[in-house]
Amino acid sequence: MSHWMFSCKEVSRKVSESMDRQLPAHQRMLMNLHLMMCKYCRRFKDQLLIMHRALNSEDLPPGDADACPHLSGQACERMKQALKDELAKGNK
Amino acid sequence: MGKKQPGAEHRLNSPESWVDQYGDFLYHFAVSRVKDPSLAEDLVQETFLAALGARKNFQGRSAVRTWLIAILKHKIVDSIRKRVRESTSDRVESIADAAAGDSADVEFTGKGGWRIRPARWAANPLETYRQKEFMDVLYRCLGQLPQRLAKAFLLREIDGLSTEEICKELNISATNSWVMLYRARMWLRQCLEKRWVKPEE
Repeated sequence: MSHWMFSCKEVSRKVSESMDRQLPAHQRMLMNLHLMMCKYCRRFKDQLLIMHRALNSEDLPPGDADACPHLSGQACERMKQALKDELAKGNK
Repeated sequence: MGKKQPGAEHRLNSPESWVDQYGDFLYHFAVSRVKDPSLAEDLVQETFLAALGARKNFQGRSAVRTWLIAILKHKIVDSIRKRVRESTSDRVESIADAAAGDSADVEFTGKGGWRIRPARWAANPLETYRQKEFMDVLYRCLGQLPQRLAKAFLLREIDGLSTEEICKELNISATNSWVMLYRARMWLRQCLEKRWVKPEE
């Protein structure tokens, strides 16, 4: 492992870190250089992005539009009552 | 031109109206993740109550619905975690133990190359998450992620907190937070790679 090149292990760290902060320019450059050459690290990066998108998604799963579940009127009333009770407690 | 949209402020002041406005959506979201209608109902109610308690902290950085969904996602992960705990098998334990150390040591050779090369998850990677099974496995894996890592990871990915905010919340250093987030991602990735059967293969 030469010191001017990142290993896959180092790149995996840097890819993760780059999702949480702006990397220093030279680190970013070394990371991108490695990513350009290494298809497995590119896959790794894609995988992290997939997980990120999946967790951020507010989509309902496709295919259950026809069986769209609704809260029963009873459940709605129960929840409103619970909220009312909680509010009343807070106002005391 | 038309009537002014009621602002977030206004909506926050009438929590009961949340039930009418967001109840069905949250319920549908919860059912699709936990499969059990009565548990889903409980989680939605818990979400509303938690939101009521936290509404002073809601800074309107996101839409009310987004805010409620974020709370619900935490509740879903917590409930899966509880279920996993109750039916803990040795296999789960061993995964959790492995993650307690540095899972990167397992993933890489001494020279820093991939020991097992990352698989290609989909032809169009960014569409992968739309597949239902993927979400199921992801949430199950999240429920098994060691708690400390899960906390940091969910604050970052679901609540979108910055590293600084996470450090304050968990009382850790910035470097520490990056390491934790890295471990959480490595662990989850590994879990998904093991459990998720890629449809096209």
